[in-house]
Amino acid sequence: MSSDEKPDGRPAAPRSLAEALRARDDASLAALLRARPDLVAPVPTDLTQLATRAGTRASVVRALERLDRFALQTAEALAVAGDPAPYDELLALMAGDDGDTAVAAALPHALGTLREQALVWGGDDRLRLVRTARELLSPSPQHPSPTGLGPTVQEATAGMSPGRIQELVTAAGLPSTHDAVSAAAALTALFTDRERMAKLLGQAPAEAREVLSRLVWGPPYGQVTPDPAAHLRWLLDRGLLLPTAPGTVVLPREVALHLRGGRAHRETQPVPPPVEPAGTRQSSPQAVDATAAGQAYTALATVEELLKDWDEGGPAVLRAGGLSVRDLKRTAVALDVSEPVAAFWVELAYAAGLIASDGEADERYAATPTHDEWRERPAADRWAELAGAWLAATRTAGLVGGRDAKDRTLAALGPGLDRSAAPEVRHRVLALLAALPAGTSPDPESVLARLRWERPLRGPQQEDDLRSRLARWTLQEAELLGVTGRGALSSHGRALLGAPQPQAADDAARTPDSPDVPDTPGDKLPVHHRAAPAGTPGAGPVPPGPSDPQARAAARAAAARLLAPLLPEPLDHVLLQADLTAVAPGPLQRPLADVLDVLADVESKGGATVYRFTPASVRRALDAGRSASDLHAFLAAHSRTPVPQPLAYLIDDVARRHGHLRVGAASAYVRCDDDAVLNEILADKRSAALRLRRLAPTVLAAQADPAALLEGLRALGYAPAAESAEGDVLITRADARRTPPRTPPAPVPEGPPVPDATLLSAAVRAIRAGDLASTAPRKTPGTPPAPGELPRTSPAETLATVQAAVLTGEALWIGYVNADGAASQRVIAPVRVEGGFVTAYDHTADEVRTYPLHRITGVAELADE
Amino acid sequence: MNGPLIVQSDKTLLLEVDHEQADDCRRAIAPFAELERAPEHIHTYRVTPLGLWNARAAGHDAEQVVDALVQYSRYPVPHALLVDIAETMDRYGRLTLSKHPAHGLVLTTTDRPVLEEVLRSKRIAPLVGARIDPDTVAVHPSERGQIKQTLLKLGWPAEDLAGYVDGEAHPIALREDGWALRPYQHQAVENFWHGGSGVVVLPCGAGKTLVGAGAMAQAASTTLILVTNTVSARQWKHELVKRTTLTEDEIGEYSGTRKEIRPVTIATYQVLTTRRKGVYPHLELFDSRDWGLIVYDEVHLLPAPVFKFTADLQARRRLGLTATLVREDGRESDVFSLIGPKRFDAPWKEIEAQGYIAPADCVEVRVNLTDSERLAYATAEAEEKYRFCATTATKRKVTEAIVRRFAGQQVLVIGQYIDQLDELGEHLGAPVIKGETSNAQREKLFDAFRQGEISVLVVSKVANFSIDLPEATVAIQVSGTFGSRQEEAQRLGRVLRPKADGHQAHFYSVVARDTIDQDFAAHRQRFLAEQGYAYRIMDADELLAES
Repeated sequence: MSSDEKPDGRPAAPRSLAEALRARDDASLAALLRARPDLVAPVPTDLTQLATRAGTRASVVRALERLDRFALQTAEALAVAGDPAPYDELLALMAGDDGDTAVAAALPHALGTLREQALVWGGDDRLRLVRTARELLSPSPQHPSPTGLGPTVQEATAGMSPGRIQELVTAAGLPSTHDAVSAAAALTALFTDRERMAKLLGQAPAEAREVLSRLVWGPPYGQVTPDPAAHLRWLLDRGLLLPTAPGTVVLPREVALHLRGGRAHRETQPVPPPVEPAGTRQSSPQAVDATAAGQAYTALATVEELLKDWDEGGPAVLRAGGLSVRDLKRTAVALDVSEPVAAFWVELAYAAGLIASDGEADERYAATPTHDEWRERPAADRWAELAGAWLAATRTAGLVGGRDAKDRTLAALGPGLDRSAAPEVRHRVLALLAALPAGTSPDPESVLARLRWERPLRGPQQEDDLRSRLARWTLQEAELLGVTGRGALSSHGRALLGAPQPQAADDAARTPDSPDVPDTPGDKLPVHHRAAPAGTPGAGPVPPGPSDPQARAAARAAAARLLAPLLPEPLDHVLLQADLTAVAPGPLQRPLADVLDVLADVESKGGATVYRFTPASVRRALDAGRSASDLHAFLAAHSRTPVPQPLAYLIDDVARRHGHLRVGAASAYVRCDDDAVLNEILADKRSAALRLRRLAPTVLAAQADPAALLEGLRALGYAPAAESAEGDVLITRADARRTPPRTPPAPVPEGPPVPDATLLSAAVRAIRAGDLASTAPRKTPGTPPAPGELPRTSPAETLATVQAAVLTGEALWIGYVNADGAASQRVIAPVRVEGGFVTAYDHTADEVRTYPLHRITGVAELADE
Repeated sequence: MNGPLIVQSDKTLLLEVDHEQADDCRRAIAPFAELERAPEHIHTYRVTPLGLWNARAAGHDAEQVVDALVQYSRYPVPHALLVDIAETMDRYGRLTLSKHPAHGLVLTTTDRPVLEEVLRSKRIAPLVGARIDPDTVAVHPSERGQIKQTLLKLGWPAEDLAGYVDGEAHPIALREDGWALRPYQHQAVENFWHGGSGVVVLPCGAGKTLVGAGAMAQAASTTLILVTNTVSARQWKHELVKRTTLTEDEIGEYSGTRKEIRPVTIATYQVLTTRRKGVYPHLELFDSRDWGLIVYDEVHLLPAPVFKFTADLQARRRLGLTATLVREDGRESDVFSLIGPKRFDAPWKEIEAQGYIAPADCVEVRVNLTDSERLAYATAEAEEKYRFCATTATKRKVTEAIVRRFAGQQVLVIGQYIDQLDELGEHLGAPVIKGETSNAQREKLFDAFRQGEISVLVVSKVANFSIDLPEATVAIQVSGTFGSRQEEAQRLGRVLRPKADGHQAHFYSVVARDTIDQDFAAHRQRFLAEQGYAYRIMDADELLAES
């Protein structure tokens, strides 16, 4: 919408948003652009253009959505106040008649925020909400305001007959006036006068007061029958309820405000809800760090296990991208976790660049070369890498298994999992945790409440909005990763966040934690009072972590340094037991773990690992190229205790039988009862091409196929005979050639199939409609298009004509090209033009449709009939 | 952080036994964790909901459990696991079974939604009566066991405060002349009595009968003893007469041959589960007297119909006795929910260390099949395979060699296949006890064996349980019931009675190499290996060469 704040001719400066912006200093403008980065893409040419852009609907919506709850409530109050409104009126709406010190204290700050974001301009005596914001926030029958207030008396009586208004005035006990406007003004004056109003309401019947109390907090609309009961009659007669449509009445804004004691909101929340510590038992910071480190270790083990599971080729990539549900299930079983948790680990490995699709024709997931480097690094570094990737990722594992807007299942590693808010929410949640004293775990609900305050949803509040879900996932995932321990932020988690140890304080600078920063109500030229945090130029209000790569790397390194001493030291030994198990009482050094993984099956994981030796597992080790003596030496070297006899026996037993049978591939063989002939053949140099190998004194195996072998042997001067699979001598003869089974061709009928009745009737309707569009009489601006031809106008003309038609309510004849490139003519009555789309009643299709403006080739007004 | 305990993610606990705090830790975790495996260095305990609820029933709370884990754990315990433990334990006691003065047995709750939830269950609905008030519902007295079992399966175990009936009093006392209950037997009786009902697990040969006698003396009321077979019944009777003030006349035998009901009655599972025309005519035995105590011998063998009937006996004290609570049918939890939780469990090696059972040398002898046997084995039908390899002729030679080696000692040869046993008996010149041997003949042979008149006895699986052969020092197992773990344990138990001269017992298991016999043997040995019995493996050739 290209609405701009035109100078409206009022005397007080500034006269428009553009002028107000012009008066601001550079720092303040920079703050505006930082808060609303969409305004600089592309960079506006001048302040008028900036003001115009700041007033567009999309940009205003974006800005409103990023306000905290109190600032938004302030904006909502301004939307129901006069335009312009003095500061005192706003304060009265926010704090009510009785006043509210907390609100009074917080209001200047909230107003400052609105001013900074160019949503409000003008001095304190003439506060003006940007028009688009006012339209968005002020009440209308379609979009009830969050304040629950109805239209003003002035608005509600706009369409009323003068006689009726005079009746209202008289019934309310006021002298009659000359015209409708002054009558409405008199009513307004009465309704806003607390004392006279109280007197008037004092006379109301009890049921009437009951009705008013039902409507007072909204929605302000009610239904009445054509013949209302006496108490409703009483209210209607005095204008305390005003009709808006047949059968519908509304409580005028002034009356509601009187009944509410002047408050625009039932509840104001001037102070952000604090993040409460959970429960009574809080852990010591040491216990938190230890628990988090234990979990961090488990996280590493799980990711490594996942990668090992996928080492020899991971699951296939679905055609639409991502992992199939079955593969995710299988992975969950392999990792011994629930599916959502498995999805988290898989996504984490992906976000950290450890796995990716291999891009082959038969696409599968596999480990990346990065993974091989990652594997070789110390445990703490590996963790910091994972946690850093998690913190910055926009991919959201929590969505896996849900459905997208088109009701398709969202697959792990698949498309549609990116949520741009994720890193910011993650960071914000952890920052809130960091603001608590070390070792304190928060009550998750209070964290969510705080987040909802900082970024409330417009419209009805839901429990399950995306940000709340993201926050909940963040808390769970942070615990899984070991960023938190027992719900509290660990010291390495704190370092990762870039927050100072042990308690974060700088956080307050970014959130309205401290509404004590006084913005004097009198400053006409709001100057951005807070300097941008040093070293983070261009950071928005919500920088996702330390913004530049260097600071991020430093934070990761710091986290790794703190974590390293808490992780258990890898061991170089195991305990072997006679029940054919081995227990590693802690993490193992990599080479040892790799060998044991092959040699034994893992039975139980955790702080320790329990391995079980079975014939199959020992065979696996032998298959991997180890000999029995290797294995004995390996176990003896790494066992703290003597190797139990049954285990040694098991290895020998399996080794004895290993490789007893040998299997190989040959494509043909030569058999001869006479060893000497075979010796001759092998000795002959010419037989080398046949790649013969002696399997037994009387058998040679060849890599050449039987036909080539026969040829070759004949060339050597022998007379070989071919043998069938059963050992009979084969007699060769040419075989007749046949195709595989085939069906005869089906007859092809001439012309298209005969259409059925439905299709026919639909076609007739379409033809008739098109006929109407092309034959409708129309005005002829300029050259009339030839009959049956689409009208052609320039885009600017099109826009202007359509906009004019919205105002006049006239029907237009348009030429339209649909997505397939098919042109058609339609007769439409435009209702709304917005964001490049025309919403119109389509006479041709007999329904309301939306057309992109760029697809309209031209418009023409219809001739009057 | 250098404790002896490692908490695994699958809720097993690994205890390093050589650690200096190992004993303290064992005591701390014993109330709630189940000892699963006890090999040489690392013992494995498992934390199950049942174990946690039993701990709650015994008066321990979640904090104690969590503290024990945190205190002794070497690595940080995952917070989620601690939360899970606390939540699981918190589920116990929300529901209570108790006696109401007006309504009889009632189920009450301290948490109304829980009651609502369980009452909505289809399986609970038929067991309860009228709703007395929002928090209380009447329960049919006969369904006390059933409802407890079902609630346990639903995950809301009920605390049973309805108590026990005392039963008909009957004076019984132990006659400790020249012997006394061993400390662990005392402990077992005490734990059982304190808990009300439950299972006592003791190794074979550790004197389970005396625990039963001790419990009877404690109860001093009429007692029903359920045993596996008639021979076992006679031994119980013999032992009770010898060890307690009971006389022959006070003890009745209720079996296929005799149907006596006396203040102390010993019945066999077989007679109880005899079915005639679709009914169990002998089940009324349970109601024939006002029993104050019911003893289930070898509770791991409890047949399904007895399970069902036991569910109806929840008001009477129940004592289960067993050496190995491993049921190949996996119904251990039914035993726990119907008879009662495990009240006492002693690792075999611990009792051995105290000198109450003999140390045993377990040897697996591997024999090779001859070439013709290998071919026969390879071509045999799947169900015949085990028989083919288990009865190889080489086993006979090995058995003879072992018997020769232990000439002059009491040797038992145990097997599964009658043909094989008959042949062995013939070659060894030893009598064979099998299914068709009459009870009188059996007892005569046992007696002769006991007296040392015969030194070698060949027995089939009929003698698996409750035969009492105090002087057997060598057992040779030539074949078994496939991979049954508890059979192996029972057989080892035959030689574990402490020897007069204190020497070692020997247990030989003769196994055919590279066949399913070997696989079954590995499975059979698992229980004992987990109890710390390390099997030695020998080649048959080696053994034959030695002798």
